[in-house]
This record gives sequence, C-alpha cells and structure tokens, in this order.
Amino acid sequence: MEQVIFYLFAGVLLFAATMVISVRNPVYAALFLVLAFFNAAVLWVLVGAEFLGLALIVVYVGAVMVLFLFVLMMLDVNTAAMREGFTRYLPVGVVVAGLMLLQLIVVILSEQVDLIGGLIPEPSAEVDNVHAIGQVLYTAYVYPFEIAAVILLLAIVAAISLTMRRQRPNTQRQDVPKQLSVTKEQRLRLVQIDKKNRRHTSDT
Amino acid sequence: MSFETPDFSLALPEIWLLGAICVVLIVDLFVRGSRRSVTFFLTQAVLLVTAALAITTQWGVTETTFSGHYVVDPLAAMLKATLALLVVLALAYTRPYLEARGLLQGEVYLLALFATLGMLIIASGGSLLTLYLGLEMLSLSLYALVAYHRDSRQAAEAAMKYFVLGALASGILLYGMSMVYGGAASLELAVIAEAAASEEPPLLLLFGMSFMLVGVAFKLGAAPFHAWVPDVYQGAPTPVTLFISTAPKVAAVALFLRLLVDGLGPLHETLQPMLLILAAVSLLLGNLTAIMQTNLKRMLAYSGIAHAGFIVLALAAGTEAGHAAALFYVIAYGIMAAGAFGLIIVLSSAGTEAEQIADYRGLNERHPILAGVLLLLMISMTGIPGTIGFYAKYLVLKAAVEADLIAMAVLAVIAAVIGAFYYLRVLKVAYFDRPEVPPEGSQKPTGPNEGSVGEGEGATPSRPDGAAGTVLVPGASLPIRALLVVNGAAVLVLGIFPERLIALCQSVLGAG
Amino acid sequence: MIELSNFLVLGALLFCLGVAGIFINRKNVILLLMCIELILLAVNINFIGFSAYLDDIAGQIFVFFILTVAAAEVAIGLAIVVVLFRSRGDINVAALDTMRG
Repeated sequence: MEQVIFYLFAGVLLFAATMVISVRNPVYAALFLVLAFFNAAVLWVLVGAEFLGLALIVVYVGAVMVLFLFVLMMLDVNTAAMREGFTRYLPVGVVVAGLMLLQLIVVILSEQVDLIGGLIPEPSAEVDNVHAIGQVLYTAYVYPFEIAAVILLLAIVAAISLTMRRQRPNTQRQDVPKQLSVTKEQRLRLVQIDKKNRRHTSDT
Repeated sequence: MSFETPDFSLALPEIWLLGAICVVLIVDLFVRGSRRSVTFFLTQAVLLVTAALAITTQWGVTETTFSGHYVVDPLAAMLKATLALLVVLALAYTRPYLEARGLLQGEVYLLALFATLGMLIIASGGSLLTLYLGLEMLSLSLYALVAYHRDSRQAAEAAMKYFVLGALASGILLYGMSMVYGGAASLELAVIAEAAASEEPPLLLLFGMSFMLVGVAFKLGAAPFHAWVPDVYQGAPTPVTLFISTAPKVAAVALFLRLLVDGLGPLHETLQPMLLILAAVSLLLGNLTAIMQTNLKRMLAYSGIAHAGFIVLALAAGTEAGHAAALFYVIAYGIMAAGAFGLIIVLSSAGTEAEQIADYRGLNERHPILAGVLLLLMISMTGIPGTIGFYAKYLVLKAAVEADLIAMAVLAVIAAVIGAFYYLRVLKVAYFDRPEVPPEGSQKPTGPNEGSVGEGEGATPSRPDGAAGTVLVPGASLPIRALLVVNGAAVLVLGIFPERLIALCQSVLGAG
Repeated sequence: MIELSNFLVLGALLFCLGVAGIFINRKNVILLLMCIELILLAVNINFIGFSAYLDDIAGQIFVFFILTVAAAEVAIGLAIVVVLFRSRGDINVAALDTMRG
C-alpha cells in the first residue's frame, strides 16, 4: 500500500518538476513548483517526518512561492520572449543532466552502497515527530539555531537595503506620524443627499 | 538522551561580534552626516576586539562544545584573528571610494560584519550543519554587497551571476553533505572522520566528497568552477572586489581544512587526483587568460584563479606542511590583493575608474610613490625573492615536491613564469610608457581638478597635466594613501622576515 | 514499506531536473531561482530518506535549517532580480553580457 502511494506521489512530483523547467509561462512554472512541494510534503509525512512536511507547505507554499509570484507580477516580464533559447539549449541540458543522472543512479544502486532492499522502518507510533525535533532543536542544536536566526536578520537587512530607495519622489510609503495627526476635516467630506431625486450634490 | 549545557564562554568571539552587529545596526540608524564616521570607526573597533578576543580566549585551547557543533583549536583562533584583521584592512580602503559615488551607507559595514561572522563560524565549524550555515551567511552577505551599487548595470549583472552560480554551488555542496550524512550516519565531523578512517569506507562518503569538493572549489574560485570570478571582480564596486578577494578566500581554505581534512581527511588518496586536476586547470587557464586582459580588475581576477591553483596544489599535497603552505599562501594573497585593489581605489576618483591597464601609463612620473607600491605588489604576485609572494610559492612547491608531486610542481613553475609576463607588463606600462590620449570611447576623460573636488584634506597633489586624456588623480585622502604604502611595505617586510608567520601557520596545523 | 533507494533515486532525478533546468532556461532569471529550489528539494528528500532509514533525527534537523536558509536565499535572490530589472528593464539571462573577456 505504501509503495503504491509513494509511486503515485513521486510520479506527480517528477511530472510537476519537469513542467517547472519546461513550461512557457513563469507563473505556471511557479504553480507547478507548488504542486511539486505538496507532493514532496506527502512523501515526507509518509516516512514519519510530519513536522517538516507541514513546514514545507507553510514556509514554501505559504511564503516563498507567494514571494516568487509577487515578484513575477511586479516585474511584468514579457513572457512571450521568455523561451526563445529553449530548443537551442535543450540538447546540452539533456545530455549534461542525463550523464549526471546515470552516474548518480549507478552509485546509488551499486552493490557497495548496500542500500538495495534497505527498507525504511515504519515510523513508530510512540515517538512524536514534533516532540523529537523540539527536544533537540533548542538543546543540542541551539548553536545552529541561533546562526539561522542571524541569517534571517541578514536577509532582512540585505533585501531592504537592496530594494528600498531613499530620497526618491513618487514612492508610496507609510508615514505613521502623518497618519496619526490626521484630522477629520482632511478625511471626511459631508455631502447633501437629495432624497427625492436620489442624486447627491457635493457641498464644495 | 543526555544533554550537556554548552560552554558559552568558549564562543566569546562570535557572541561578541553578534552583539556588536546589533549595536552597529541600531547606532547607524541615528548617525547623521554623509561620512558615516561613527559607523565606520565602530565597525573597525568591533573587528579589532574580535581579533583580540579570538587570540586571548581561544589560543592554546582545544575543545568542542555545543554538542560538537563548535570546535576551538589553535587553527580556529589563528584563522579568526587573521580573518578579522583582513576585514579591518579591506574596510579601511572603502570610505573615500564609496563616499565619492554616494554609496556610503551603514549597510555596507553591516553586511561586511555579517560576512565576518559567517567566516568566523566556518573557522570553528564542528559539523556539516554549522559549516553550511556559516558558508551561507558569508555568501548571502557577499551577494548583497556585490549588488550594492544599485544604479550600475554591471554590478547588478555581476550580482545575478554570482547569486545563481553560488546558489547552484551551495546546492551541489548540500547534495554531497546529504550523501556523507547517509554514509556516516552523523553530521559531526569527528564521527565522519571515524567512518572515513575505517577499513572499507562507505562508498557514499567518497561520492559525497566529490560533490562537496565542487562546492568548495567554487568558493575558492578554482577552475573549472571559476565562471563567476572575472565578472564579479570586474562588475562589483572596487572596495567590494577588494573585500571578496581577501578574507573570503581565507574562509574558503578554512572550509576546505574543516570539511575535507578534519572530516574526510582519511580519504585523501581518492581526493588527490581531483585536486590535482583542479590545480592544473586553474594554473594554466588563469595565467593564460590573464595575459589577454586589458582591464586591470579582470586581469587580477584571472590571476586570482591562478593563485587559487597554487592553493589547491598545496592542499593536494595532503601533508601538514601542505596545509600550512596553503594557509600561508592565502594570507599572503589576501595582503597582496588588498594592496592591488587598494591601488585601484586610490587612483580612482569621482568620475574615473582606474580600471584599464592603459590608464596606468606614465604613473611613475606623476606618482612615484604609488608606482613603487605597484612595483612591489606586482613582483610579489610574480613570486620574486624578497617579497611575501616568493615564500608563498616556495612553500607550496616544497610541499608538493615532498609529496612526490614533482610533475605538478614543474607545471606550477611554468605557470608562474607565464604569469610573470602579465604582471611585468603592467609595470612596463607604468614605468616606461608615455601617457597619451587613449583611443576613442575607452574611457571618459576627466579633468584632474574635477577629480579632487570634495576632498577637504587638500592632500591631493593634483598636478595639472594637459597632455594626457585620462589622468589618474588619486581621489583618496592622505590616510588611505598612507595605508596603501604601509600595505605595500608589509609585502616587502613579510617577504624579508617571513619566519614568524610561516612558523605560526605550521604550528596551528601541527606541521611544526 | 518503502525502500531507501527509492527515495535516493527520486532525489537524484529531481537534482538532475534542476540542473537541466539551469542549462535550458536562458531567458528568465526567476526560473533559474525555481530550478535552484528544485535542487534544494532534492537534497531535502535525500536527507529525509536517510534520516528515516537511519532512525536519526539529525537529518530532519538539517532539512529544517535548509528550509530556513533557502527562504533567506530566495529573499535576497529576488531582491537582486528587482535591482537587475530596475537597471536594465528585463531579466533575460542570455543578455547578461556587458562584461566579456
């Protein structure tokens, strides 16, 4: 049964990944990537990595892919010209990737690696995956955890400093003091409504 | 499972640097004025204290903590002090150049500090996980720094290429790490080393190792994984190029020493042929392509690939002497590269980039001191005795010969002789060529007086020289030029008295 | 029961698809970033497979950190894409040729 589920979702995953690299429209590519992530998440849950399966959906589908789509829409790239070089580079890509795949598979399936028939044990019902991760994440892995936090801070600083433009007219941004000091005269306009004609006339 | 509370005091340099980064981040928000003096001096002070802390708290200690993720040993202490000092040197050159182009913002120093923290983490990484995270922290800061000149097409392109290829290299490195994890059943380098030293090491380890080597070679800029180097060196703002060519190179060697010596050292016999190929390709390709360059930054990029070839050759020797030679070489290269790019910064002014080799015509007549520094740097990169570059090459060749890599040593000497050609060509241009009007379109001519505008120091002797089309006028103030002279002198002094530094490199790697 | 080699072959296939994608796509930088995501997904599948096979939580912890770092990486990568777009008006990879030699 698990075998069937694995092959089913792995098949869809590979299909989605193939579509990501070959589809014409980058928005479709992003959506196929979402599909790929969902299938990968199912496979992870299948072998007992529930927390990461959910994290993949929350972090990737929820945040990263939305960021991708956001930038795609914001930049308004000309999608028609997007795939011009596709057929030109296709043979090179296929040959390189094919050779690499051949090597990888030969090594993975070679006798020496001793993985053939190596079955992944059933996730035991007693061990709670989230519990197990939480237990080590803040103890044995506290140093990497702190580093990861710093990397996120770095990403904030870097992304903001690269994209935020100072002293540029016509950029929209929030000005909190200005918002707070607003008076009702600036925002509210009273209009007289003529009930009979259902037409309104402005008081200005 | 048992858990030991980590000894936080061992990680004092990193903790201090992280705390200081937060302080700099906040202080910079309140700094007024375009010169960013407070941020700049605070950053430099922080880095100096980091170096001091690394020496005082970690020298002579050999311990692991944080459940094996953090290693303290003399190598880590020395690497951290060296890295912090190289960053101090690199940042010291940045201010006038960035200020003249309106790029002087606190984020530059902040990103440099983040990069330094990443390098420190690599220097004492005890597991695949910490090494990966340190490397990513370094790389992400560098991508952002390269893209920092937002209005420059070249910088944006260079950053994009750097990012895509760098992320690909990280992916390949990670794939290797996953295989190594599968082979050794642990992320800790000490456990991996045990698995690798067993009678019949798992094939997965060998397999993962070759993938990891690709990632490390990329970070070191060794051919054939060098595609990013020329474009990034040329396209990035010169102070960023200077930064990239100094401390991160040392960090790449540190990554190699941790990952492929501490972790997979027992598998060196399998690794050696791959390293030799990398070294040979880097030496030949770097030197031969550098000859054809007309842009000095690009020439230095290819020469950097050739130097990476020497470093890889030293690592291929696989002995402690070889590792020490690689460490000495990369530090020497850092000092030389800082001087060379520093010279470009000093000679560039607001409107002019002193990038083209042709721009250096007649430099000796106009600025004999700067030409002298150029002379020192170029003969040191060539490897002429009396300079630090000579000892670096000598140690590498000695280690290679001792490890029976005589054919490779001969190849390296031939490559060095080819290399001498283009270094000496720069000197010929600077000393013997007359300045003349450059061909149309090669560079915008800038009047000498325009260039020195904005330098209140008045230290710039802008000699009006009507005959030349492109007159390089030092845009930098006196302190920066003094620094450059000191940097040049260091190449000479360390070349005459290299024993201390060599002994230090050998002692931390157990090659005493 | 799933064999470990199934997981590894799946990882290898995804990895090669990602690498092939980087070779094929020469027009849009954002697609390159997506190919890099595929490569990271392949690595994650490897780690999870090994982690389950060895019954060792460390591999899953590594995946947790890869997810974190990849999110940071994407943020910076897309920021660079935006900078590139502002300075050039398109994000064509094949046209990244102001520097040669």
